[in-house]
Amino acid sequence: MHSRTMRAIAIGLALGAVGLSACGSDDDTSSDTPEAETTEGATDDGTDDGEAAAGDGCAPEDITLIGQVRNETNPYEKAWLDGGDTFAESVGLTQKRLTYGGDSQKQQDQIRQELSSGNTECFVLNVLPNGDADTAPIVAATDDAGAFLVTQWNKPADLSPQDYDRWVSHITYDGVDSGSQIAVAMFDAMGGSGGIVALQGILDTGAAKDRYAGLEQALADNPDITLLDQQTANFSRAEALTVMKTLITKHGDEIKGVWTANDDMALGAIEALEAAGMEGVAVVGIDAVPEAVEAVNGGTMTATVSSDGPWQGGIGLAIGYCAAIGEIDVAGLPAINRAFYADQTLITGDNAADYLTPTVDPAEFACDRVFDRASAALS
Amino acid sequence: MITGPRSAVTSAGNGSSSRRPRILGRRAGERALARPTSTSFGERAATWGPLAALVAMCVAFSIFADRFASVDNFQAILDSSAVLAVITVGLTFVLLLGAIDLSVEGVMATCGLGFSLLVLNNRNGWDLGLVAVIPIVVLGAGFGFTSGTLSSRLKVPSFMTTVGMSAIGVGIATLLFGGLQPNILDPALGRWTSGRWFGFTPLTFVAAGCVVIGALIQRHTRLGRYAMAIGSAEDIVALSGVNVSRYKGYAFALAGAFYGLGAVMMTTQLQAGVVEAPNGLNFTAITAAVVGGTLLSGGQGGVLQSAVGVLIVKVLENGLVLLDVSPYLQRAVQGVVVVAAVAAATWPLRARLRVVK
Repeated sequence: MHSRTMRAIAIGLALGAVGLSACGSDDDTSSDTPEAETTEGATDDGTDDGEAAAGDGCAPEDITLIGQVRNETNPYEKAWLDGGDTFAESVGLTQKRLTYGGDSQKQQDQIRQELSSGNTECFVLNVLPNGDADTAPIVAATDDAGAFLVTQWNKPADLSPQDYDRWVSHITYDGVDSGSQIAVAMFDAMGGSGGIVALQGILDTGAAKDRYAGLEQALADNPDITLLDQQTANFSRAEALTVMKTLITKHGDEIKGVWTANDDMALGAIEALEAAGMEGVAVVGIDAVPEAVEAVNGGTMTATVSSDGPWQGGIGLAIGYCAAIGEIDVAGLPAINRAFYADQTLITGDNAADYLTPTVDPAEFACDRVFDRASAALS
Repeated sequence: MITGPRSAVTSAGNGSSSRRPRILGRRAGERALARPTSTSFGERAATWGPLAALVAMCVAFSIFADRFASVDNFQAILDSSAVLAVITVGLTFVLLLGAIDLSVEGVMATCGLGFSLLVLNNRNGWDLGLVAVIPIVVLGAGFGFTSGTLSSRLKVPSFMTTVGMSAIGVGIATLLFGGLQPNILDPALGRWTSGRWFGFTPLTFVAAGCVVIGALIQRHTRLGRYAMAIGSAEDIVALSGVNVSRYKGYAFALAGAFYGLGAVMMTTQLQAGVVEAPNGLNFTAITAAVVGGTLLSGGQGGVLQSAVGVLIVKVLENGLVLLDVSPYLQRAVQGVVVVAAVAAATWPLRARLRVVK
């Protein structure tokens, strides 16, 4: 009796655990499944019309919109997917929100799974590849399926959308420019002279390298600023806190400014400075996560740079959507619309109040305006 | 936190022994299980080797790095060791069993988010202050108890149950995060990380207290002794009438309680509930424990050894920065030192360690 009960409990727990761990790993997407299924259902019903129309473009209602980022626990990427929803609503569709938890393999699996059924010729994907190396298989998978793809941030230099029919655009930001913009803002706040320390991101990522190159550029133009030290904190708030504590013991009051390659590290550095009782140190970061914008607005942080997450989430879908319905002729697009740097905004105490709630104007997603923010072609 | 598990352990011990035939008198049995009678040279070397390594590292860094041997830096090292120390103390009890715990990050994510939502924050109306530590530590213990019980009752390796538990923890934390990061607004909590007691942050004293409490639990409670004994020879312990599954559950629960407290400390330091904040901490804690002499094979080492391991890891991290070693090389250097330290620590014991996988 007793052992049978135990066994029943054990089986129950095991089933529960399987269910829970499935939720645990896919939790980000599970809440959206009902809508996603409806969307897929609609696509399946419309498969025949869709395929017939594929030559001249898909009917707007047959289009499936998919947004994929690493995770929704990152405010920036959450805002990105919300921007995707804003666009989807503006054209009467729903976005399928996918998150892969920073796991390259999972990202590939999700994409293959999405593209395994339905009228893939009318799929539009706006993807944040996990790293440069992940872009090629994503492009290959979507190209095979005939789905429209826009990628952002990461791609290897030798892979170009211009060699593909359905990979419409790759959007990225000039990290050198953002790294140097925040550096200059920090130097101004320091009065043009003094010692600084730099916290780099994950050293083997393009973003970390470019942003740091921007700092080096700004340092070359400002000989009165001394770089006391540079360390990596892997884009992590917790690591930045620890590394900054060590740097404070090493350099003490010589530190007048802290340059960091993203806002999370800036916020970690601010905690370390506060714990050490150091005031008046200029701290700058990149990404404009809400807490950092608040800190800039409140004066504890000097500057950050916004790539505009909600815009990124919407614009990728919008470009793909316009291509899918035939409003954009992909082959006829100029180079500056296929792979480009988008505009970014420096946020300082002067304008932080305007960026406290990240929102996006759906009017920017109109097919004739989708490339308005393209500032330079990617070389 | 100490009295809870202890009283539970005592009553559980009585319950189990009344059902099973007693092979050894309890006191004598416990002593025999917990303490090998003779102390060989190898064991002494394994106990004191890491401490010697720590001292040697400190001497080397003092010679080659100007600012290493200063009061400020000593304080900075101890302050930045606080969270890792608490986690590693908890993890030690699991390692002593010969089990592994990979749920640290998930448990800490949920506990950290939970804590940030229970104190004065920007998301809801809760304002429990320090009282919030209690439910969070209990929550962590609950996670641990579940992992331990699942693995011992269902005979699933702890590697798998704890990986699953970590995923569940991250999942719950993601739900709690809800797209808007909870920031802690309670100024009293801020003082735990920015305030100074005798030059150290109050959290450093909390961590020191945890090491002492952990060492006391390990040496003077049945839970601690059984954990050590189970790790040395689980079959014999089971034959002597000890309810092994139950004590495994308790050991994991104790570990979980420490992770919960560690999450509270980390969240207080960051002044925000950050789901990814504990990332990487699990392996750092395992490294620290092993470097200190708490081996993955179980039954070896203990809380104090692990604490030495924590200091080795942190001194190394700190020293490399002060030595101006390029950040591009630091990780590699850390790896080399860790492998060398573990090899040195296990060298005298290598004949006695059974199969190493």
